[in-house]
Amino acid sequence: MSASLTGGERLALLERMLLMRRFEEEVISAAAAHKYIGRNHLYIGHEGVGGPALVQLGARDVTHSTHRNHGHMIARGVDPGKALAEIMGRAGGLCGGKGGTWHMTDPTRGFGSTSAMVGGSIGMSVGAGFARKQQGEGVSVALFGDGVLDEGISYEALNYCSKFSLPVLFLCENNSQEGAHITSMLAAKRLTDVPASLDIETHVVDGADAEAVHGCVRAALAKIRANSRPIFIEAQLARWPGSHQMRPEHTTGVTDMSLVWDEARITGEHADWVRHHDPIRLYAAKLLAAGAASKDELLAIDARVKNQMAAARAYAEASPFPDASAALENVFA
Amino acid sequence: MARKTFATGMLDALGYALQTDPTVAVLGAWSFIRDRGLPIEQEDAFFDRYGDRLIDPPTSESVIAAMATGAAVCGMRPFVNFGTSSFAFEAWNQMINETGNAHFMSNGQLKAPLVFHMYCGIRGGGAAQHSQSPQSMFANAPGLELVLPSTAADAQGLLRTAIRSDNPTIFLTHTKLLQWMGDTPDGDFSIPFGKADVKRAGRDVTVVATSLMVRESLAAAEILAKEGIEIEVVDPRTIVPLDSAAICASVEKTGRLLVAEEAVATCSIASEIITIVAEQSLHALKAPPVRVARPSAPLAYAPTLEKAVTPDADKIVAAVRRMLNK
Ligand SMILES: Cc1ncc(C[n+]2csc(CCOP(=O)(O)OP(=O)(O)O)c2C)c(N)n1
Ligand SMILES: [Mg+2]
Repeated sequence: MSASLTGGERLALLERMLLMRRFEEEVISAAAAHKYIGRNHLYIGHEGVGGPALVQLGARDVTHSTHRNHGHMIARGVDPGKALAEIMGRAGGLCGGKGGTWHMTDPTRGFGSTSAMVGGSIGMSVGAGFARKQQGEGVSVALFGDGVLDEGISYEALNYCSKFSLPVLFLCENNSQEGAHITSMLAAKRLTDVPASLDIETHVVDGADAEAVHGCVRAALAKIRANSRPIFIEAQLARWPGSHQMRPEHTTGVTDMSLVWDEARITGEHADWVRHHDPIRLYAAKLLAAGAASKDELLAIDARVKNQMAAARAYAEASPFPDASAALENVFA
Repeated sequence: MARKTFATGMLDALGYALQTDPTVAVLGAWSFIRDRGLPIEQEDAFFDRYGDRLIDPPTSESVIAAMATGAAVCGMRPFVNFGTSSFAFEAWNQMINETGNAHFMSNGQLKAPLVFHMYCGIRGGGAAQHSQSPQSMFANAPGLELVLPSTAADAQGLLRTAIRSDNPTIFLTHTKLLQWMGDTPDGDFSIPFGKADVKRAGRDVTVVATSLMVRESLAAAEILAKEGIEIEVVDPRTIVPLDSAAICASVEKTGRLLVAEEAVATCSIASEIITIVAEQSLHALKAPPVRVARPSAPLAYAPTLEKAVTPDADKIVAAVRRMLNK
């Protein structure tokens, strides 16, 4: 799979994924310090999906996201300071503090409206595909969880998209695995049976394997751009132990880069997740083993990311709360 | 008398219904019973006792509303908990077109005795999609009873009536009321629909308030009492049916009407109550009626913006003072 990525691209991808992780760690720490009301759905554990998928998109490609959107924002290159400020309800946030954690968007980075309703954005993704097809350039990427297939609109969206051959990549982040906290109840044996029954090409990929996701999405995007048919990718993820909590906690601790090379030190209640499912640790370990990165390079990447997040936190905290007058502005265009 | 939270009051009413009526079944049990501040033993005991009729369906609000209606017409008494009220918007067509119309369209042959329960209101940081107050939207759909309880006793007594009612009933719980403590009568009791409750008597201004706004109005009354102003807090408790006689009787006494509502003012319950008073008791009004409600804008996430538009005790106090030129 690495054939599709140069050495530099691999390091850049790891750095982006690590920024997504350190961003959420900053969100947790800001909540603990009571900097804002502190209710979120965090993206920890999903970085190996959103990271490699979204770094490949071009300026004309549109993305729609969900309640679990923080990582999607960072993956597409949104300013982490403005994203953190939005979560903290500040005037300097992406949406001036109006959207908050659930409704972040940045049209300059290709985002449409972000919904906190399960199934709230999958239909709009189809609309974005329609627009881009009419306009002749760009594709739409629908980001959603497995729970969305419980909602009737997912069927309508998939059916419409297939029937009218719209250029949409349906990227489902399935974090419901047997025995764990599950977020969907599908009677179909496989999640991909649903789109497949509507004549949509489907793929299943290991969501903890960043390069597998990168390759799968790369091939899908090329095909969609060439023939304007939708493709459905199910990225399978082990659920991060903290992900069902609305009150963010450091459930698996602050990411410790030394665990990449010092596996013996992985202990504790969530050792299994850290050892086998943490996409960042797995990818860093892969690069280290392949000689694509040294320990020092990994530590240097992490230091850069930490600096970036320190600046983002400082920006967010320095940003004032919006003035009350803004409460009635922007109701209409 | 027992002292309990609003959440416990509702659970006691639901438990009694499950215990005494085998046709009662719960769809969406988890978010009604768990995470509501109840002691964990009480939650577990509930699941142990009634587990076979406590169902957690897929995230499929539309079919949940539809199947509850279908089951109700066939002899069940489903209690549906949608969670946050905006989730129920997914089920709008079913609730408005099917559930609310079934009895009338069939010329009274069909009945849909069910409860649609949901959490409403500005909860703090819920932003536009998790802070909805859909009461007037439901009030505008004929055929649906609409309950907006404000205390533990009302929650328990009205939920008993809602489950026993032969009509579909919308039951809206403000998230911020769940932990509010109150005295409730012992044992099984019910409160009839269409009977307002005067939560505090007063001579100067009638304040009609529902749900969380009752609590805010009572807080406002304490502040105003120190200034020698006595407001009368009238809680209609059910909007459909509405006890307009009690509201008008209070206005006839005080000569002034303020309606406090957390929802957007445009075409609100407050608008309706003021219209009814204008139609029936205009002669009694010594001052123009006033709405303390939200301006017509989606709710923002930032705490400063949320506070700016949220009706509360301070805004009620200020409005009452203005009414009395104080
Ligand atoms: C229409 C609607 N119903 C219910 C909810 C409550 N809810 C919030 S997150 C969630 C689970 C969503 O699962 P999934 O789409 O798989 O996303 P995940 O949180 O697992 O990433 C539910 C049911 C909602 N937000 N919207
Ligand atoms: Mg999920």
